[in-house]
Amino acid sequence: MVDYEISISIDARGSFCPGPMMELIKAIRQSEVGDFVEVLSSDEGSLQDIPAWIAKAKHELIDTVKKADFNRFIVKKTW
Amino acid sequence: MPIAVILGGGFAGLTIANKLAIKLKKRKEVEIVLIEPADSHLYEPGLLYYPFNDKPLSKLEKPISKILRKNVKHIKQKAIKIDYENKKITLEDGEVIDYNCLVMATGVDLKEERLGLTDKDNVHHFYSAEATLKIREALKNFKGGNIVISPSTVPYKCPPAPIEFAFLLDEYLRRKKIRDKTNIKFLYPLPRPFNIRVVAAKILKLFEKKDIEFEPFFNYDKIDTENKKILSFEGDEASYDLLVIIPPHEGQDIIKDSGLGDKEGFVLTDRETLQVEGQKSIYAVGDCTNIPVSKAGTVAHFAADVIVKNMISKIDNKEPTARYDGKTLCFLVTSSSKSFLLDFSFKKEPRKIGLHSWRIYGIMKKLFQYFYFGGLITGRI
Repeated sequence: MVDYEISISIDARGSFCPGPMMELIKAIRQSEVGDFVEVLSSDEGSLQDIPAWIAKAKHELIDTVKKADFNRFIVKKTW
Repeated sequence: MPIAVILGGGFAGLTIANKLAIKLKKRKEVEIVLIEPADSHLYEPGLLYYPFNDKPLSKLEKPISKILRKNVKHIKQKAIKIDYENKKITLEDGEVIDYNCLVMATGVDLKEERLGLTDKDNVHHFYSAEATLKIREALKNFKGGNIVISPSTVPYKCPPAPIEFAFLLDEYLRRKKIRDKTNIKFLYPLPRPFNIRVVAAKILKLFEKKDIEFEPFFNYDKIDTENKKILSFEGDEASYDLLVIIPPHEGQDIIKDSGLGDKEGFVLTDRETLQVEGQKSIYAVGDCTNIPVSKAGTVAHFAADVIVKNMISKIDNKEPTARYDGKTLCFLVTSSSKSFLLDFSFKKEPRKIGLHSWRIYGIMKKLFQYFYFGGLITGRI
C-alpha cells in the first residue's frame, strides 16, 4: 500500500480524449517533484494514452483504479 | 426592443449575424448588433497555401461592410467587459450596450509574445497574415537543413493545419529540389498526429511515405534560440534551422475579465445547447468555446444553425430546443492538389474519409474560398 496525499485532483469526467491527458500534463507542470496528482477520466482512450505519456515523461503511475463509469489515475511527479 | 448582440466578427460571428438577419428580416422590432473593431475579414483557411506562393494576401481579405447584411448594425469597437447580471456590455470608449440575447464569438488570442522571439531567430508560423509573409521569405531563403514543425499548445485552431503544412512543405521543397538536403520533423503533444485513431493511422502512413519524421508526446516547453533547439516538457529536444511553431492559443481577455471562461479563457459552453454555463441568455460559438471539438470553421457553421434557432425561440418566449451534435467537416490537405474529407460528430467516427476522391476534394478545398464568401459567411448556406 503506497502512502500518498493528493496535491492536485482533476475531474476530467465527461471530457473527451485528449482532454484528460492534457489536463494531467498541465497539472504535472504546475506541481512540485514528489507531488501526487489524481485524474478522473470517463474516456476509454485515457487507459492507453495516460499511462503511455507517464512512461514517456518518466513520471510514475502509482495506481489505476477502475470505477463503474470512469477510471482514476494517480501519478507521482518524479523529476 | 429585443436586442441580439454578437460579439466578434470572425467567421462565427459574421455567420450568426447574417443568419439571424435573414431569419428576422421582417421582424423590425428585433435589432441585431455586431461588435467588432476590425473593418475587414480575413479568409484564414487560405493562409495555409501562401507561404508557398507569391500571391498577394489581399486576395484573402474582404471588407466587413460587403459581408454583413444591411439589417445588422456594426459597432466598430472593442468590447472589454460583460455584465451578465444586468445584460450590459462595456465598450473600450466607455459606452454601454444593452442586450437581450448575446452570442460570444470572440475567437482566440494568439500569444506570440510568450515565445520571446525576434525576427532573427528563424522561428515562424502561418496563423496571421503578417507571419505568413515572414515565413514565405524564410522559405525562399532556405537552402536545406532541419525544419521542425510543432504546436506550442493544445487546443489550437484547425487541428490538421500543421499536418497540412508539413505535406505542402514537402512538395514545395521537392519543387525547389532541396528536399534531399532537408529533414522535416513533426513534433506533437499527443500520442497520435490526429485525435481520431483511424485518421491518425492514415496520416502516419503518409508521413512515412513522404519521409516526414513524427515524434509523439512532445509538449512544448521552450526554445533555445542560441543553440537553435526546441525543448519539450518530457525532456526531449530537437535541433532546427527553421522552426515552425503554432503560437500559444488562449481565450480573449474579455472572457477572463467577465468570469465566463476556464483557466485559458475559453468560454465554458454546454456542448449541445451551446449556452454559456449558468447563462440562459448567452451563447458561445466558434473558436472561443471550450467544447471538445475542432476549432474549425465548419464547427462554427453547424453550431450557428443551432444558436440561431434557439435565439429566435428565446425572442419568441419559447423553449429553445435545438441541439448541436458535434458535426464537423474537415478537408485535410495532403498535397497542393489532393485532400481527404473528414466527416464526424460527438458520436460518429469518420467512416468514409474520401480516400477514393483525393483529387476532387483537393479541387474543392481550393474552390472553398468562393463558397466561404459567397454562401457560408453570408448566411445563405
